[in-house]
Amino acid sequence: MSVASASYLARRAAQKERVRILYRRALKDTLNWAVHRHLFYPDADALREKFEANRSVDDIETIDRMIAAGEATHNKWRHPDPYIVPWAPGGSKFCRNPTPPEGVID
Amino acid sequence: MASVLRSSILRHTRVPISTTLTLNESKLIAVRSMSSYGDVHLDKQEVIGRVLDVVKSFPKVDPSKVTPDVHFQKDLGLDSLDNVEIVMALEDEFKLEIPDKEADKIDSCHLAVEYIDNHPMAG
Repeated sequence: MSVASASYLARRAAQKERVRILYRRALKDTLNWAVHRHLFYPDADALREKFEANRSVDDIETIDRMIAAGEATHNKWRHPDPYIVPWAPGGSKFCRNPTPPEGVID
Repeated sequence: MASVLRSSILRHTRVPISTTLTLNESKLIAVRSMSSYGDVHLDKQEVIGRVLDVVKSFPKVDPSKVTPDVHFQKDLGLDSLDNVEIVMALEDEFKLEIPDKEADKIDSCHLAVEYIDNHPMAG
C-alpha cells in the first residue's frame, strides 16, 4: 500500500474534517451544558486533552473506529435544548417576521 | 378678477413641496440599533478591529504577530483544533451561527473578515 496514494490522502483529509466538525460540536455542547464560563473553561480543556491524547494515531482503521466512538459519545451527551442564535434555523426568531414581498409595502 | 387675485396671492404664499430630509447633502438614514433583521450593516474597519481583538486575546497566539492578513495555521503556528476554537470565539463575538461546512473553511483572518462582512446578520 503506497503511503502517499491519492485515495489514502483523500481518506485522511475526510477523517480530519470529521474530527474538526466533531470537536466543534462537542465544544458547543460543552458550552450548552456548562453555561457559566468559569465552569466551561476547565471542561473545554478536558475535551481538548481527550483529543490531544489521540493525536499521534496513524492507522487509518483505528482512526475510523475512534471517530465513530467519539461521535457515539457525543450523541449520547447532546443537550436537549441547545442555544441557537435566534435568527438561525431552530432559534426562537426563525421565520418569525419574514420580509414582505416586493410592492406590498411602500 | 377675484380668482386672478386669489391665485396670485396663493402663488406667493404657497409653501413649496419639501424635498426629502437631507443632512449634509446625504439622506438621513434611520439607524435602527435594536433591529435584529440585519438591515444595519457593520463597518468593515470595525469588523477588522474586532476580529483582530478576538485573535489577539487567544492565549496561544502572540499578539504582535497578528495582522489582517495572517493565516492561523501557517503564520501563527496554530493547530486545526485551535482554528475551530477561534471560529467559535468569532461566532460568540458577532452573534453569528456559522454552518459546520463554512466554519471548517475559515482558515485565516482575511477569510474571517470577508465572511463576517458579507453576512447579513453580523452583530
